[in-house]
Amino acid sequence: MVYHPQDRTGRPLTAAGPGDDGDTIAAQATPPGRGGVGIIRVSGPRAGAIARAVTGKELSPRQAEYLPFFDSGGEVLDQGIALFFAGPHSFTGEDVLELQGHGGPVIMDMLLRRVQELGARMARPGEFSLRAFLNDKLDLAQAEAIADLIDSSTEAAARSALKSLRGEFSRRIEALLEQLIELRVFVESAIDFPEEEIDFLADPQLRQRLDRLANSLQDVLAAAGQGCLLREGMNLVILGRPNAGKSSLLNRLAGRDSAIVTAVPGTTRDVLREQIQLDGMPVNVIDTAGLRDSGDEVEREGMRRAWEEVGRADRVLLVFDDSTGFGTQEKAILRRLPAGLEVTLVRNKIDLSGGDSRWRQTDHGPSIGISAREGLGLDVLKAHLKQVMGYQGSGDNVFMARRRHVEALERARAAVERGRRQLVEHGAGELLAEELRQAQQALNEITGEFDNEALLGRIFASFCIGK
Amino acid sequence: MFYQQRFDVIVVGGGHAGTEAALAAARMGRRTLLLTHNIETLGQMSCNPAIGGIGKGHLVKEVDALDGIMARAADRAGIQFRILNARKGPAVRATRAQCDRVLYKAAVRAALENQPNLSLFQQAVDDLLVENGRVSGVITQMGLKFAAPTVVLTVGTFLGGKIHIGLENYAGGRAGDPPANALARRLRELPFTVERLKTGTPPRIDGRSINYSRLQVQPGDEPTPVFSYLGRREEHPRQVNCYITATNARTHDIIREGLSRSPMYTGVIEGVGPRYCPSVEDKVMRFADKDSHQIFVEPEGLETHEVYPNGISTSLPFDVQYRLVRSIAGFEQAHIIRPGYAIEYDFFDPRDLKPSLETKHIGGLYFAGQINGTTGYEEAAAQGLIAGLNAALQVKDEEPWSPGREQAYMGVLIDDLITRGTQEPYRMFTSRAEYRLLLREDNADERLTEIGYRLGLVSESRWQAWQQKREAIEREEQRLRATWLHPQTPAAQRLETLLGQPLTREASLMDLLRRPEMSYSKLMALEQAGPAVDQAQVAEQVEIRAKYAGYIERQKNEIERNRRQADTPIPQHLDYDQVAGLSAEVRQKLQRVRPATIEQAGRIPGVTPAAISLLLVHLKRLRAAGS
Repeated sequence: MVYHPQDRTGRPLTAAGPGDDGDTIAAQATPPGRGGVGIIRVSGPRAGAIARAVTGKELSPRQAEYLPFFDSGGEVLDQGIALFFAGPHSFTGEDVLELQGHGGPVIMDMLLRRVQELGARMARPGEFSLRAFLNDKLDLAQAEAIADLIDSSTEAAARSALKSLRGEFSRRIEALLEQLIELRVFVESAIDFPEEEIDFLADPQLRQRLDRLANSLQDVLAAAGQGCLLREGMNLVILGRPNAGKSSLLNRLAGRDSAIVTAVPGTTRDVLREQIQLDGMPVNVIDTAGLRDSGDEVEREGMRRAWEEVGRADRVLLVFDDSTGFGTQEKAILRRLPAGLEVTLVRNKIDLSGGDSRWRQTDHGPSIGISAREGLGLDVLKAHLKQVMGYQGSGDNVFMARRRHVEALERARAAVERGRRQLVEHGAGELLAEELRQAQQALNEITGEFDNEALLGRIFASFCIGK
Repeated sequence: MFYQQRFDVIVVGGGHAGTEAALAAARMGRRTLLLTHNIETLGQMSCNPAIGGIGKGHLVKEVDALDGIMARAADRAGIQFRILNARKGPAVRATRAQCDRVLYKAAVRAALENQPNLSLFQQAVDDLLVENGRVSGVITQMGLKFAAPTVVLTVGTFLGGKIHIGLENYAGGRAGDPPANALARRLRELPFTVERLKTGTPPRIDGRSINYSRLQVQPGDEPTPVFSYLGRREEHPRQVNCYITATNARTHDIIREGLSRSPMYTGVIEGVGPRYCPSVEDKVMRFADKDSHQIFVEPEGLETHEVYPNGISTSLPFDVQYRLVRSIAGFEQAHIIRPGYAIEYDFFDPRDLKPSLETKHIGGLYFAGQINGTTGYEEAAAQGLIAGLNAALQVKDEEPWSPGREQAYMGVLIDDLITRGTQEPYRMFTSRAEYRLLLREDNADERLTEIGYRLGLVSESRWQAWQQKREAIEREEQRLRATWLHPQTPAAQRLETLLGQPLTREASLMDLLRRPEMSYSKLMALEQAGPAVDQAQVAEQVEIRAKYAGYIERQKNEIERNRRQADTPIPQHLDYDQVAGLSAEVRQKLQRVRPATIEQAGRIPGVTPAAISLLLVHLKRLRAAGS
């Protein structure tokens, strides 16, 4: 065992468990949407201070109070109920604050940003439950469930959060990352290899690159602030062989005729998208060309795009004709889907087959019967979608994941700005390097690991280094 | 036969890892034996005779803070000293000393011979004695057995060595020495993962055949830096210059023509070489757009004419080496004393080691140095010291100790090795350290000397010296915090010329020192601010701590946040198959590394925060089930 010298000085160990990094975490505890009441939950050592700052008064533990929530300028954000639980007598065993406000996404967003500003960070999937468990607030029997929660929700959230962003947005983040890495390659090689004939810290290009990175971060954040990041919606892709009724389903969900619906297979040659609202939360429904082998070039192009959409999907609706049933072609489609992508089977045309609209669990996923033409079973389908897409229940979901992303981008921007000042005002290259490392850590939370080793690899690939 | 005397710690190998290991164990009062195949090569600098450099100098200062020999030997042998990155901020400054090979060896040898509790014995080791999964001693070439409960193996140069010059190759260790083949074969039978690496050296040149007038002079720094915290300038031998020249288009043509007979470009060499220190043929091929590469012309000593042309490591055939050397400015008439060559050698996957550098498979057996896949004297010395001190601790049944990544470059080195393994000869760079602003050359004593003292590793005299320094720093900081300058006083007016703006409200000297445009010496030039401390090392600390204060605090907070994870152990034999929810990939990675703590697990590439949460849940369940 490694031990650390501080231990020998008898420094008291804190009561907090190992899963707790000392951070205060926050999340929306209610499903996102236009629902009546929304709850923001905060847990950790700063919960008390946050309560005081938001409500402007000292809350008595376990007593609900109806009062205004203030922003940093003292303006009222919302009126609602605040509840404070002092640890260990709380759900997580830590100090916990609950703010119950109006449930609309805008207010919830503002409240979350407010608690972030006061030092909370967005909770990771399952983190409240994890802390509760580690602080003996949940029993062993519940541990299995927590493991499931962490496991499935993380994967789903991470997958959808990045992929479901419109192509352009994720491309911009990739471009940001690349700009940052290039800068770090310059700065770190100047520090680690001073005997090479490169002194990038003195190069005016460095400052320009730094400015460009700062601007790009600013642009991406501005775009996110306008809501296209947080409120962009889930991507629901409708797949199926030609004439299975995909376009009719899209029109039903969208409530108007956006796709040309004919009885001729292959009518939809391109990708059609509609944004619909399920209880106030947006869903992008994407109807794709029918999937079949075709000699028609236009149709082939349509199918290529269909698969591209699948790559960004949060969920697939696989539509088939209930009277012919789930067959080999449907199985072939399923086999081509990326691993882990959730699928709902839609048995269409039950008006012709005489089938029912009941929800069933099958080997390939949940299955629901509808008639797109007659409008049968659509309420069952919508309820099902709300449930699976995280609009019900308080688990982690893509909206939480995206809020975490915005928070990470903000941290990256702040670090780049500090680094720029260190270089420009003080010529402190090693402090610029440190700030860029912080920015990298923040972006890593969105794009995945890029560590010291990978950076060294880039340095050695870029410059001939070493005596 | 068994040798009569029993030892506590046996160190096999007398290179930079072996000597530090033996000295460390002996300093801690353990009966220590150093076995080497040749006492004459103790402390030999087998490659370029220089100590330090960026990242490496940091390691040397840490070894010094724990009372190791490397920095002190460099002070006695250094013939050119420089501070690299001198203009780039204290955290990334590093000392480098060009050394006289003979003087260096003599300094190390003297330290070994005068070290109480340490015996030397000249015999190659052919085998290990292993009983019930624990090492119990070694067997030498002539069948002599030495018994000890701990053995530190530092036989890196070179296990199963194979030397290449052109398409010719032969078995060999460090040039001129035999390879340790019997031991290499024996170790291959044990359950360690063996891999192959490659490195190379340049041809050495007779300095009398060099036309120095065509080279650029590279003098040492003035005033001459010292390496050890206890070092003195008066210990240095005579100082000399290094020189710089460069390859040219003709050199590159010669290299390209010779590639068909290069062992690297014809696939004869299988081992993986470093990306950062490529052979000259690699430089020319991989960076074809560069028409020139620097060569640092470094003397090997005061009493030899041999010169080390740093930058043209090569394994091309000798006739090509001859022509390429003579194509270089200043080397037109150069006489090559020793040909350059590439060497392939075995190393053991360091993920089979614990943080103490004890092997996971055989109790009491420690590996240090190049055997673990590292390159460089400094990396070897750091590991040797840690392995030696842990062997010494184990003998007394004490808890092992190894610095964390936040404490020392040594910690970064060991953690990288045991957590990630290595795919190329591992060398230290400052960019490997997350806490670069804390891990400075100037504060290795602050970070390590007290711990070393408590471990019994640091002598009373060094401990006293450090305590005095620490107290002086604290006193001076206290004084700077307590001394205030007020606006509209004569002192404030003089300050205005320094700051370029008037002092608007009263400020402590510490506040003023924190300003970027202010330095300790400028501040002390003010009559009201003095007197300055007279020890330069103290003034330096006060200034750096003031300048970095905000960053130091931030990094310390970051460390504090990771502490609970660092303090959460993972049982060594944990069954990862029982951890619910882990992906097969993550499971496999955890099984390979078997991290000692949750924090280490989090640093394994590909192990996600979610995986860490799952591990925490599992550990908690285990504890609950156990109680």
